[in-house]
Amino acid sequence: MLTAKDTLEATHLEMRWRALSLAADLDRIERAGGADLLRTDASMVKLRKALAVLLEGGGNRAEQVQMIFSDMTPREK
Amino acid sequence: MKLIDPHIHCVSRTTDDYQFMARCGVVAVSEPAFWAGFDRSSADSFADYFRQLTDVEPRRAARYGIDHYSWLCINAKEAENISLSREVIKLIPPMLDHPRVLGIGEIGLNKNTRNEITIFQEQVDLAARHDQLILIHTPHLEDKHKGTRIITDILKSDRRIKPHRVLIDHCEEHTIRMAKEAGFWCGLTVYPVTKVTPQRAADILESFGPDRICVNSASDWGESHPSMLVDTLLAYRGRGHTEREETEVFFNNPCRFFGQCPKWKLAPLDMKIDSDSENADGR
Repeated sequence: MLTAKDTLEATHLEMRWRALSLAADLDRIERAGGADLLRTDASMVKLRKALAVLLEGGGNRAEQVQMIFSDMTPREK
Repeated sequence: MKLIDPHIHCVSRTTDDYQFMARCGVVAVSEPAFWAGFDRSSADSFADYFRQLTDVEPRRAARYGIDHYSWLCINAKEAENISLSREVIKLIPPMLDHPRVLGIGEIGLNKNTRNEITIFQEQVDLAARHDQLILIHTPHLEDKHKGTRIITDILKSDRRIKPHRVLIDHCEEHTIRMAKEAGFWCGLTVYPVTKVTPQRAADILESFGPDRICVNSASDWGESHPSMLVDTLLAYRGRGHTEREETEVFFNNPCRFFGQCPKWKLAPLDMKIDSDSENADGR
């Protein structure tokens, strides 16, 4: 199995690329006049929460992010 | 190495894709009935579609040495139309003895509506009455967690349904636990966009264990590709898993689930124990 250092070395360039892609996506929305949307749109509120999960740690970040993006309303009766 | 793609929509793929799969080592596929990208206008369209699934695609696949099986149902999206759904469901029982039909699927939910749930329950009943394997479609994106919960609750409340005869497909990090812990088989669908990536699929296999998990490409008419199966194999191999472990996931697991239907012809491969000690570089 790969060590943690091996795994980091194998993925850090791709993680960097993903962070830059997200930064460019946000810039593009802002350039199109969407500065307010970035602050207030429900999808962006969820995205900010997801980004906080990435920074806070914990062994199940992917599952936590999935739950942020999930509809948790009760089943229709 | 021999591979199985347990969920692919061959009717939407070109012969180049069959050729590609054959080159990658795919020797068998299973094709669930699904939404064609547009709502069909009558049950007659489904009768033709079922003929394509059971007769046309097996012949097309055989030209590339691929054994093709299929599943029949009305899909979750068109299940919103209850009267059409019931006409389509009537077409299914006479076809269940077809040598290429493995069971009822992919049934499930799309937007978790009342109508979808009604037709889902009627198709679960159909499968139970005819003792068929079931292949489940779970919703995508924000609807997945809620839909998977509704589906598993319905299945668990029906005493006729044996969890080991049901595969809950399109599982992700937040839904696989509820399917696996209830004893169901689980499917991981690997896509170039929007769904699980090859690396995340390898993470899920390692986190939850490879038992009762099948990996598929679910290639269809959208942005998808049969290469996702072999890309996931390569991601798994890149972690240092042995050829025996790869075979368990990408060949033996589908054989074990599908093999519960006597029409499925391939048997799990018995890999030598000593291959356990070899990693990807040692094969």
